[in-house]
Amino acid sequence: MNAPDRYERFVVPEGTKKVSYERDTKIVNAAAFTIEREEHTVGNILRMQLHRDPNVLFAGYKLPHPLQYKIIVRIQTTSQSSPTQAYTQAIDDLDKELDYLKKSFEDEKNREEEKLRRGY
Amino acid sequence: MSKKKVSALDMPDVPMGQLPEHLNLQRTRLRCKADAPIHTESIQYSGAYASMGVDSSVDIKKFNSNFKVEIVRLTEDEIEFDMIGIDAALANAFRRILIAEVPTMAIKKILMVNNTSVIPDEVLAHRLGLIPLDADPRVFEYLSVKSDQLKWLPNGSELEIATLDKSSKVKSYTSFSCSQNSLPEISKKPLGVKHDDIILAQLGPGQEIELEAHAVKGIGKDHAKWSPVAATWYRMLPEVVLSEEVKGQDAEKLVKKCPVNVFDIEDLGNGDKKAVVANSRACTLCGECIRDVSEGLVKLRHVEDHFIFTIESVGALSPDELFIEAVKILEEKCHRQIVQLS
Repeated sequence: MNAPDRYERFVVPEGTKKVSYERDTKIVNAAAFTIEREEHTVGNILRMQLHRDPNVLFAGYKLPHPLQYKIIVRIQTTSQSSPTQAYTQAIDDLDKELDYLKKSFEDEKNREEEKLRRGY
Repeated sequence: MSKKKVSALDMPDVPMGQLPEHLNLQRTRLRCKADAPIHTESIQYSGAYASMGVDSSVDIKKFNSNFKVEIVRLTEDEIEFDMIGIDAALANAFRRILIAEVPTMAIKKILMVNNTSVIPDEVLAHRLGLIPLDADPRVFEYLSVKSDQLKWLPNGSELEIATLDKSSKVKSYTSFSCSQNSLPEISKKPLGVKHDDIILAQLGPGQEIELEAHAVKGIGKDHAKWSPVAATWYRMLPEVVLSEEVKGQDAEKLVKKCPVNVFDIEDLGNGDKKAVVANSRACTLCGECIRDVSEGLVKLRHVEDHFIFTIESVGALSPDELFIEAVKILEEKCHRQIVQLS
């Protein structure tokens, strides 16, 4: 009766921004990004990539409630970088890694099909 | 006599910048003990072990040099491949996207003309929705009502009915931007149902079913009928290590215990037998070999960055194409985050 519609999980409604940004008032170089209509699929990957960055001091994500379809990613960096920079850098790096992954997989698939075609 | 001072971080057997063996094991291997696994977290933090001088940050070049894909088995319906050098978060993301976010075609709307069978309309409609269709979803777009389809009806309602008779005067509920025969992908191999031996309803004498079904592109998050995979899972590469020599009768007992033949007997010259690990990849972690033996004799470990993926496709797309679509969808998600932020 009170369940939200299934399409609410991935359709961003009109007027809400997909990604919004809020600086932390009490700690320098810390911010919280709220990403609408995403869940562990993107949140965990983003957190993992942020951890790999040597300028990031703190990176974590959470889903405030399983029926509210958004994640909050909190980032704190050293003074050499800023949370927005760390965030965009992490997503850029992820993009490049996925490109390389896709290319490796396609190469391997072509090699495998060649092998099958040659019959061994 | 003055002793030469050596820094504790720079001992000759563990030089600066490297981890001692036991810490390296903790970091890269998940150990399965008899009651529960330990060291399960993947340590990605760039500052981990910084006090020992180890730089754990990973940049794109390091990732590219460590990453490898190996396809073990590729058939029409199933693929098993290894991905080495990625993290559990990425593996899980691919699994989640394959199940819920790769689009397929499935029947969504059914116009029932006549149903005198014992199966109620809605049950029949539900069963029709779950049928796997042999349609390539990449050729289609998502269904969207465009405003040019709204037509002013000055004379009141004139419901346009779609029926199974093919007279061209009768208009239908759907309109396509181009005729389906003009698209090369579809005219080469007409769209249809993947398996033609699925029983939808049993009819008795005198009963009939007449209906028209519309199939629509959707994703698994909306309804499970749009999920393109039968089952998709990953496991980490198992590593079985014997810490002591197991000989003679004990060796035979050990080999017999394992249901998937991980161990094997090796004959050592003078009638003596020794157990060796033959095929650790087949290990299913049933735990039989660590149950009644002394703890630490058999070490069951998982390599934390080596994932064995298995994807079983339902049929519309081949499993390797499915994986490539999943990677494309993840890339698109990342793009959207950046674009929306700026």
